[in-house]
Amino acid sequence: MFELICNVLLWLGLLYSYFFHVLEAPIPDRTARNPYTLKPDVWPKAIIILLLICIAINIINIIRKNRNNPDFSFASMFSINVKRWLGMAIIIGASFILEPLGYMATCCLVLFLYGLLLGQTHVFRLAVFSVVITFVLYVVFSVLLSVNLPRGTIEACRNFSLYVEGIVSSVQSALGM
Amino acid sequence: MTTWELFTNGFSVLMDPYTFLMVVFAIVVGTIFGALPGVSATMAVALGLPFTYSMQPVPAIVFLVAVYCSSITGGSITAILFKIPGVPSSAPTTFDGYPMAQRGEAGKALGIALGSSAIGGLVSALAMLTLSPQLTQAALSFSPSDIFAITFMGLSILTCLDSKNILRTLISGLLGLLLACVGQDPMYAVQRLTFGSGELIAGLEMIPVLIGIFAVTEVLKQTKKRDKLTADEGTASVNTKMPSFREWWGIKWLLARCSIIGTIIGILPGAGATIASFLCYSSETKLSKHPEKFGTGIIDGIAASETANNAATGGAMVPLLSLGIPGGNAAAVMMSALVLKGVQLGPLLLVNQPQYLSATFASMVVTNILMVIVAIAIAKVFAQILAVPYSYLGPIIIMLAIIGSYATNMSIADVKIMAIAGVIGLVISACHFNSAALILGLVLGVICEGNFSRAYTISRANLVNMFARPVAGTLMVISLVLLVWPIVSSLFRKKEA
Repeated sequence: MFELICNVLLWLGLLYSYFFHVLEAPIPDRTARNPYTLKPDVWPKAIIILLLICIAINIINIIRKNRNNPDFSFASMFSINVKRWLGMAIIIGASFILEPLGYMATCCLVLFLYGLLLGQTHVFRLAVFSVVITFVLYVVFSVLLSVNLPRGTIEACRNFSLYVEGIVSSVQSALGM
Repeated sequence: MTTWELFTNGFSVLMDPYTFLMVVFAIVVGTIFGALPGVSATMAVALGLPFTYSMQPVPAIVFLVAVYCSSITGGSITAILFKIPGVPSSAPTTFDGYPMAQRGEAGKALGIALGSSAIGGLVSALAMLTLSPQLTQAALSFSPSDIFAITFMGLSILTCLDSKNILRTLISGLLGLLLACVGQDPMYAVQRLTFGSGELIAGLEMIPVLIGIFAVTEVLKQTKKRDKLTADEGTASVNTKMPSFREWWGIKWLLARCSIIGTIIGILPGAGATIASFLCYSSETKLSKHPEKFGTGIIDGIAASETANNAATGGAMVPLLSLGIPGGNAAAVMMSALVLKGVQLGPLLLVNQPQYLSATFASMVVTNILMVIVAIAIAKVFAQILAVPYSYLGPIIIMLAIIGSYATNMSIADVKIMAIAGVIGLVISACHFNSAALILGLVLGVICEGNFSRAYTISRANLVNMFARPVAGTLMVISLVLLVWPIVSSLFRKKEA
């Protein structure tokens, strides 16, 4: 059922895109008047038409195959693994909190929450692991590979990042790096 | 530059201590990533990308090539010891490797796997060095219609990627082509399919999409599984008794056949190491004098699979370097990274930047030799590493994916694209679509549309004229046969059934 719903949604989404989003800006006059140019909407429209046909056949195939399947119902939709939904929520959430919270807090949170999700029951050990790995990854990427990781836009997070950076740079200068 | 000059230049590049150290580091990283179940060669290259951001182009290319080659080899370690293929292309290695390990012949099995990997890799590296200049010369005379025909041939392999799911594979490929249209069109910069998002005007950044679809999707899939990556009860130690010269001599023709087939499959865009190893394993079963022994633990089975998958790595580099067309997913990730470094992939590489071709060759040769030593050492440690709970390993992979996407352009938007791509990858997998086909469409889409558009204008909107050139015409006919044949044959099979 999940597959069928995804295919139907995809088909509807493509139909909507075909009419409203293939071209989002006017074609320049000279291009529009030139009969020997391929207009910018031709290629995506051709792909969408092919997709609409293929997905329609796929939908028919799914219905045909599952016609006599008792598990093929809307109720089966709710048997989808909850852990996976939570996993998706953590990853999507991380991509949104990375800017306001910055690397340090986001990394700690993601490592901790995803560890819990994957069945880690030793909370204290997991917390220590999260902090240590956050620092290790920071050193590897920010210090050794010169990747400027986000500091965060929330003042407290930003100040904490700057504080850690200060400690790291003083250690670096002490080591003569 | 002659082939000999390329050869000597490559090795002089590797004489630089920093570059040589990078190769050794990459072999260690690549073998470990490759041996970790759920970390594919593509994911290994993707996770290795952030390490190259601050490197010069030559060490970067050398590093990525070494990660790529060693990750394919690393996959055989867990395949033999624990019946868990570290990378999908090592799956056929489990058929004979694990029974050998259970019989107490783990050392011999690993020796065959690593040795045949090295032979396959070396043959394909030589093929890359000798074929790339010729292909490049030919490619320089290509017109936009020829290039379109080549990329179309790459796309036509879509129907061969999964013969049981041709329709879904086609849909996946077409979705990839459509995603490649997001942003401004390549000819007139008209905005398309951005849904009003300013972040999509420049199009979809390839690296976050690839990291999302391969790395994040894999971790999401693992959330359903058991906590520890432990395997069937069995091998805890690895003896280092290597196969004898007589045993090697007995499989010399097998090694030659699989090296050639693997290299050719690697050259074909969209095929790659997994298809190469399965194809060689099945063809060797058919060619063998004792096919009934395959699957019971014989060295032929391991050698067929491992020679082919490593030969495919060099093969994949040929179209990547000569034509700018990736031969597989890992090559696609590498392509994105190298373009960022200013490497001009395609026909002009040998003319303007020959040092990159020679560095790739030298890196492949050194990697394939050094990784035999490194992989044996890592195999010994791996019995312990596999006991690390996935609840620690999974979150680290997620964070590496986030940092890797962000570091591409220092853009939070790329992290969001990566996260969404990860979720889409999971949906694709749940709907039995083919993520490899989607990536192939996405990678080839831009090249395909741009060249079709140019060829269309040059031929004054005449499709017959467009494919009148011998190269374009021949390739289009081959492509159409490749595209249609699996569909027609499956219809015939259905009718017969």
